[in-house]
Amino acid sequence: MIALDCGNDFATWREQARTLLSHNIDPCDVVWAQGLMHDLLALPTPLPTGRGSFRARIPAALLGQLEQAGRYRGDQRWSLLYEVLWRVAHGDRTAMLAGDRLGSELQRRIKQVSREAHHLHAFVRFVPLPPQLAEHLQLDLVAFHEPAHDILHSASEHFAERLGRQRWLIATPEDGIRYDGNALDYRKQCPEQWQQWAQQADDPDGELWPTYYRHTFNPARVNPGALAQHMPGRFWRHLPEGALIGQLVGQAQRGKQRDGQAAEVASQGGKRIVPRGQSGPL
Amino acid sequence: MQLIAKLGILADAAKYDASCASSGAPKRSSKGRDGLGATNGMGICHSYTPDGRCVSLLKVLLTNFCLYDCQYCVNRRTSNVPRARFTPEEVVRLTLDFYRRNCISGLFLSSGIIRSADYTMEQLIRVARLLREEHEFRGYIHLKTIPDADPLLIEEAGRLADRLSVNIELPTDESLQLLAPEKKASTIRLAMGTIHQGQLAVAGERNAPRFTPAGQSTQLIVGADSTDDHTILGNAQALYQGYALKRVYYSAFSPIPDSPSSVPLAAPPLLREHRLYQADFLMRGYGYSAGELLREAGNLALDIDPKLAWALANREVFPLDVNRAEPALLARIPGIGLRSVQRLVALRRERRIRYDDLVQLRCVLDKARPFIVTSDYRPPEAEVRSGLLRARLREPQAPQQMGLWA
Repeated sequence: MIALDCGNDFATWREQARTLLSHNIDPCDVVWAQGLMHDLLALPTPLPTGRGSFRARIPAALLGQLEQAGRYRGDQRWSLLYEVLWRVAHGDRTAMLAGDRLGSELQRRIKQVSREAHHLHAFVRFVPLPPQLAEHLQLDLVAFHEPAHDILHSASEHFAERLGRQRWLIATPEDGIRYDGNALDYRKQCPEQWQQWAQQADDPDGELWPTYYRHTFNPARVNPGALAQHMPGRFWRHLPEGALIGQLVGQAQRGKQRDGQAAEVASQGGKRIVPRGQSGPL
Repeated sequence: MQLIAKLGILADAAKYDASCASSGAPKRSSKGRDGLGATNGMGICHSYTPDGRCVSLLKVLLTNFCLYDCQYCVNRRTSNVPRARFTPEEVVRLTLDFYRRNCISGLFLSSGIIRSADYTMEQLIRVARLLREEHEFRGYIHLKTIPDADPLLIEEAGRLADRLSVNIELPTDESLQLLAPEKKASTIRLAMGTIHQGQLAVAGERNAPRFTPAGQSTQLIVGADSTDDHTILGNAQALYQGYALKRVYYSAFSPIPDSPSSVPLAAPPLLREHRLYQADFLMRGYGYSAGELLREAGNLALDIDPKLAWALANREVFPLDVNRAEPALLARIPGIGLRSVQRLVALRRERRIRYDDLVQLRCVLDKARPFIVTSDYRPPEAEVRSGLLRARLREPQAPQQMGLWA
């Protein structure tokens, strides 16, 4: 059994996999793990040195798919990729197609990863720093986010496109990324200071967005299942509107369903309009 | 009035518009430039409200003061609702603030009719112009078009916005006369024609300025009058063909406060709305025609989806051999979507397709089973009558509560 650690880095894994494949080493004889190996049955043998004689030809699209699936955090993260690579290199292309058992798992991981990138683009919430602090830290916007897969590095360019010359950072419990208006600075280990800035930012204008959220909701159409399906509960605690969800559902189900208006609007005085040239009650 | 109070009133007044799409805009980027905002054709849903609807844009009215008296509308002049009006600068401030926070991908601005149609349209254009020109905003902008406004104003709006929409609201001329006496079907269609002409004028001209690159859309209210789905789908098909609309939105009529007796005060028909969206998607994405989906007057079935309904009514087409059938026909099998069709076609180039492959592709086999043949499967149900199949496949319905006087 060959035991390897690629530090969850695709380029490292790729080099290791290339060597293994050239020596025609079977997927069941190799295992990737983080840190120390605890498998007592595994008697580690070293990775062979140099390239072996097997010359594999693989479709160009496969490499991109493996890289994307490698961002998935989960069991057999790297072994699964080697198994796919091994089968395709030996002429079985179904291993990368969704109809096959292995291919279906590969495609599922790719889908989960791109979904998580989409979650980042959708659910990151920046807090603007006050001008003095922004000047001091050279930073305009900060956000804290908890992605389920390793997508921060590959998916954050998106915010540089959206935010122009704004300087921003996104901190997560694992990694972090900062943009100074010109270049991205990615850290595999998020500096503690970044996490503090992102989690402790003051937000005097923070009430505007929850106000909008309350009022754009139509209680006559309440459907909490649909919300949870599209916006998983794990994101709610970092969303400014997250705390409102339970409250709004509760109110809607306690009888607000009859019409769509929010209680705060219904309690205000109304005004009928008399067109010019008309007078008296309509 | 404080900005936050206005925001509450004018968001509440705008929520009956279903559209919140931010997709279909051309590629724009602010990277390394002044200004703010990007689009890449993909829409982003930044949040979901507890009604399950996506929040992609800041959707507000510039004002809910209105001279019109459309019976289905919460903002009609005889409605007893609080009124407010934003200045154009206030809408700009809110849009930019929410955009920087990554709460939205753009703005959907509409308005009650104040003073005149032209004046109202000018105000909407002013907001878009401030955003685009003064603040170099490159995010998504959707403007509601006031049908009676001068065509020159509509053209100006089309050069600033990614999408324009003119709402039809009621599907027939009679209903419009009855419930929205100030609106006319003819002017609504003229406005749609103006937008369509604007699109045609720049089509194929690479250097022409953009004109509503994300297309135009409209909304139909379902359940405020007695129009049936047959008429609604027929209308939608005519709009897709006649004006190249990108989307028709269907909005289940949701009871409004201070409701006039001319419109129902009942829960919104959400399932009917859902079936209309499914049928609409089959027309846009799968090549079904309105006449195929609903052959005669009446409404779509609520207990089965329209694709299954079509398959049950056309049993002679099935069962289809998944290894041989044309992709367009594969897409007509209930429980097999467009994505699965692509994957099946890719897989069958490599080898014969087996029943288990459909399981791996996560096709909805409960629905598909009676209609397919694979290399290792033939449906025993092929001979079962459609009525029996339907009874087996129908979705459970919530019990109908009896009316007090029924």
